[in-house]
Amino acid sequence: MKTVQKVVQIIVQTIFIWGFLLVGTWLSSALHLQIPGSIIGLLLLFLCLKTHLIKLEWVDAGATFLTGELLLFFVPAAVGVIQYDEIFGIIGIKLIVVIILGTIVVMASTGFVAERFAKGDAAK
Amino acid sequence: MTVAFGLIGTVVIFYASKWLYARYEKIWLSPLLICPLILVIILLTTGTSYAQYNSGADILSTLLGPATVAFAVPMYKNYALLKKNALAIFASLLVGCIVAIVSSLMLALAAGLNNDMINSLVPRSITTPIAMDISTIIGGDPTMTAVFVIVTGLTGSIVGPIVIRTLRFRRAASKGLLLGMGAHGCGTSKAFEFGELEGTFSSLAMIVAALVSIILSETFFPYLAKILLS
Repeated sequence: MKTVQKVVQIIVQTIFIWGFLLVGTWLSSALHLQIPGSIIGLLLLFLCLKTHLIKLEWVDAGATFLTGELLLFFVPAAVGVIQYDEIFGIIGIKLIVVIILGTIVVMASTGFVAERFAKGDAAK
Repeated sequence: MTVAFGLIGTVVIFYASKWLYARYEKIWLSPLLICPLILVIILLTTGTSYAQYNSGADILSTLLGPATVAFAVPMYKNYALLKKNALAIFASLLVGCIVAIVSSLMLALAAGLNNDMINSLVPRSITTPIAMDISTIIGGDPTMTAVFVIVTGLTGSIVGPIVIRTLRFRRAASKGLLLGMGAHGCGTSKAFEFGELEGTFSSLAMIVAALVSIILSETFFPYLAKILLS
């Protein structure tokens, strides 16, 4: 019984969070913004929590589910890579090397600057 | 049948790979690598097209939208810490975004890739919808960019922990920020494996990096491209 309740709670809260996405998407197109609806929805939800318009308990379980299972939602897009011939062969190998090296450089530089200025969390 | 496989098959194989990853803790067993790989093999051996597969799996991609919105919750919970680290967040992400643009251009030029490909590569570390917009702005091909974004996410979720270990980054802020900056949502998902703080910093990195990149693509990029690509 407990599990059923929990599942229903997650589904209801996910739909509630989805509502913020719809409003965000609508605002984005109505106001011709460059920012996608999901980011506007995020900012709206954050503001609603901050101003106590909505309570944390109303979205916490749904948000924990959605953020926790994020990788699963990327799987279909990752499978979709097979549709593109560009990424195979010599050019593909070059692209992969550029992406790997580029990602390492971006991560290392971001990390160095952050490590220098960060404070407040448990540094060991 | 295929519709059901697209959804149920993906979910089952994903959790099986997650179990495998938890059991053996090998980086190359990352669910984001193994699960799509198994699915690709199944599609190829059964002669199923991606469109057929995706008619069922599509709902999972749709959930990326509300999932992005949901990051408001960990940000709200850790607001005080984020505020205290505003300087670290902004400085590191500005550097990250500039390095992303410059390194893409330099590396792609060195590899001898053509200009269309280079422009499509530049926004690859940003979350998909914005990356596609930026790609259009700077003269790339948005669909190709979408592919590079997911390949970057895959790569980043594997390379990220290696970078953290090798360079000995200790703070939750650094780990989270570099993962979100370098590998958008895939990096953020990895960051949550490190802990909630890392994940929160990573979610914020994903959003701020996207916004900073939009600004840079209209200001800094055209200037740099004029020098390097002509």
